[in-house]
Amino acid sequence: MKLQGGKKDRSRWLLLAPMYVFTVLFVIGPILYMFLLSFLQRAEVWGVDFSFTLDNYKRILEPLYLKTFKESFQLAFLSTALVILIGYPYGYFMARMSAAWKKRMMLLIMVPFWTSALIRLYGWIIVFRSNGTLDQVLMGLHITGGPLKLLYTYPAVVVGMIYALLPFMILAVYSSAEKLDWSLVEASRDLGASSWKAFWTVSFPLTLPGLLSGVVLTFIPSMGLFFVADLLGGNKIVLVGSVIQEQLTKGRNQPFAAALSAVLMILTTLMIRLYRSVTGTNKLEGLM
Amino acid sequence: MKQKKWPFVYVGLVTAVTYIPILLTVVYSFNESKISSVWGGFSLKWYGELFRDRDLREALVNSLILAGLTCLCAVVIGTMGAVGMHRKKTRLGDAMATASMLPIMIPEIILGMVFLSVFSLMDLPFGMLTLVIAHTAFSIPYVYSMVSTRLVGMDRSLEEAALDLGAPPFRVFWDVTFPAILPGILSGVMLAFAMSFDDVVISIFVTGPAVNTLPVKIYTKLKTGVTPEINALATVILAVTVLLLALSAVIGRWRHPAERPGADR
Amino acid sequence: MKRYPWKRLAALAMSLALAASLLAGCGGGEGEKPSAQPSGGGEQQGETPSGGAQLGGELNLYTWDGMFPQEILDGFEKETGIRVRYSNFDYDEDMLAKLEETKGADYDLVIADDYIIELAVAEGLVQKLDTSKMENYGNLNPVFMSQFFDPQNEYTVPYGAGIPMLVYDPALTDLEITGYADLWDASLKDNIALTANYRVINGIALKVMGESYNTTDLDVIRAAGEKMLELAPNVRLINDSNTQDALISGEAAVAFLYTSQVYMALTARPDLKTVLPKEGLGFGIMAGFIPSQAPNAEAAYAFLDYINQPENAAKCFEFLGYYCTNKAAEEHISGEMQDLLVLPEDAAAGEIVQNISQEAEDLHAEIWNQFRSACG
Repeated sequence: MKLQGGKKDRSRWLLLAPMYVFTVLFVIGPILYMFLLSFLQRAEVWGVDFSFTLDNYKRILEPLYLKTFKESFQLAFLSTALVILIGYPYGYFMARMSAAWKKRMMLLIMVPFWTSALIRLYGWIIVFRSNGTLDQVLMGLHITGGPLKLLYTYPAVVVGMIYALLPFMILAVYSSAEKLDWSLVEASRDLGASSWKAFWTVSFPLTLPGLLSGVVLTFIPSMGLFFVADLLGGNKIVLVGSVIQEQLTKGRNQPFAAALSAVLMILTTLMIRLYRSVTGTNKLEGLM
Repeated sequence: MKQKKWPFVYVGLVTAVTYIPILLTVVYSFNESKISSVWGGFSLKWYGELFRDRDLREALVNSLILAGLTCLCAVVIGTMGAVGMHRKKTRLGDAMATASMLPIMIPEIILGMVFLSVFSLMDLPFGMLTLVIAHTAFSIPYVYSMVSTRLVGMDRSLEEAALDLGAPPFRVFWDVTFPAILPGILSGVMLAFAMSFDDVVISIFVTGPAVNTLPVKIYTKLKTGVTPEINALATVILAVTVLLLALSAVIGRWRHPAERPGADR
Repeated sequence: MKRYPWKRLAALAMSLALAASLLAGCGGGEGEKPSAQPSGGGEQQGETPSGGAQLGGELNLYTWDGMFPQEILDGFEKETGIRVRYSNFDYDEDMLAKLEETKGADYDLVIADDYIIELAVAEGLVQKLDTSKMENYGNLNPVFMSQFFDPQNEYTVPYGAGIPMLVYDPALTDLEITGYADLWDASLKDNIALTANYRVINGIALKVMGESYNTTDLDVIRAAGEKMLELAPNVRLINDSNTQDALISGEAAVAFLYTSQVYMALTARPDLKTVLPKEGLGFGIMAGFIPSQAPNAEAAYAFLDYINQPENAAKCFEFLGYYCTNKAAEEHISGEMQDLLVLPEDAAAGEIVQNISQEAEDLHAEIWNQFRSACG
């Protein structure tokens, strides 16, 4: 850029200052505290003793907790994959609509998300429960003979997860696809490429940043989202988030909960970095 | 390119499925019977109960204020940060960006607990202040990433051209950068609002005795018994939202008559 | 696209939003300082509130949602002029965390579970009660007092007791259920709903083995864990709230429910059968206490006194669905609810789940999680 150095730097620092200050005080601070906690021991009745220990981390290596992490990752992967499959086309198509339709679609997606997620999940219970909406439809059409008993099963949980996470992917992909220069696509079509090839070689790479942020915004929360599994899965799927909650409440073991959270955080960061290097989107500015 | 039908069909289908639970929520708000598995007939009594519920109304107002303040803070901090970060890529910048994303990577419950401890260490009064800080912390990542995504593909030459033409940096931002990132900001705002308006776990930890937020109230009510009063509440919120949006669309169309459907592509 | 008006509109909208939220923020900011006492009425010393004296001020009540009917809260406000600020928590431990951080300030009256009160007292967060300030203190049922968490009745006032029970739908199962052991029956595959308190649920296995809920013998607990794994295939769902819905809607044939859930289940489906398990009953008490730095303890006394007036207490328990802990209120409870809300004299011999050693507690949590995964 052709600005004089001093002016540019000053304006840049002005822009960055609030975010830096806020992040240090209210994000880095608390997280450092969490790491500190994970090395402490819990006190007799409540709180922590300031004595250093690695026990919390050692405990994570027990098979029960390793299994818990595995379950969480499995569910997160599955949900994210399905969210990509469903959400990417949605966001992409949305970006290709007329300006008026774009606005309508944006609202259509966001309006449900201003009603409580919990209430909407209860809506899915009405759908899935025995002799609920789904059963009534299927039985009415004579596709099934009796209740499917879909509630409190793994598929029900996956549906709930997708439902909760979809808008993040859609908005991220849309955000990126919306500023795509369609003339590039037209140009490649003119040069003889099929629709699919045009998409794959032009549109897809250009919307990759959107896809990446969608994946980040989907995968990360899905690791911690356990109330879907609790509500729709009948608490039968043990996820890291619910173990952490248990340890913080009934277990009164803040240090162990902190250790679990620290590991969760680190693993998730590693996953994202891995994803970035595999898909070659390392050049992404500022986004993890 | 020809407008094919099937993208619309796909989008329509997915949207329809997303609305099923909402439809059911609305329908069951008119359920005479208290228990959701039994349809007792059409009744408006739950709406009556809703309007008589003072606590719930207070909680609603609190949540709206909270979400509004959060959006404001998150948008200002997040957008400025994204723009600043975009200007020059530094290692510190990268590290800060990654750090700011952390609140959404930690399960809310531990974030809540940690905020509780840190806030009391700082001797902050528990209430709206602590709620706004906590909510802003987990909203910034959304605004930041939405805006960043827009900035990444943005054509720098536009900015440079404006600078060459002698525009001061502020005008460059306002006239060139801002409109380009506006969709990103709006997406971020919508997400931030939704996240704040829906937050239960963190709010429970950092709220004060006088400030009850709506999602916490709903959550505790759901735990003691799912009455259709909650459905009625959800329906009302939905109706109000739709109304507001319809209103703004009408106003928008009145101011910009050129934007009729199909006029742009 | 016309960019210029767009920009102007955006600027206008943003400044309006900024102005509006600043104004609203100032208004909302009044809720910020919890320890600053806004009212003068709370400082009256030694006045017995039940004479209808208008005290004014605020009561900061901290308990689960749905503990009092609106009519009682309104009635209290009208009689004493004290405004009720009702804050909720979900888990007892969240409440303890809050109290720890504020060092017993912010709230005037807390109602929570027995075991957590024992911990709160041990942490010095509870002040001793001056029972002379409550005229109706004598109405309380002594059966529910002098329990493990407050043996000298210095700190608490009981409010509601519960005995978790088995409830089943005779239309969905042919079994005559008489106790916990019947849950393991193969015919109940995928047909049982359980609540989520792991001490109580693991306790089912312990009871079947003839052990105490509060054993700290790790081998016994491990054996109970093994027994639970055998139960796993029969479990359809685990849910701490609204477990009764599963019974009512026919999702499960048998459920293990808290007292208030039993109440709701039977009111909705009188055809359901309840079972007091022959292996032994569990027992839990909720109680109110005043935190050590409560800003307006007088309001708390006034409230406790008000809800323990016989007719008021009856209304509370009819709303709450837990066993009535106020002896004088028993005769005011309506006929059909007598069975549900008044504890038969002999049933009070149940065992309360108490706090145990940390090791034992951790082991319980582990076998619980293993049990849960096995169910899924």
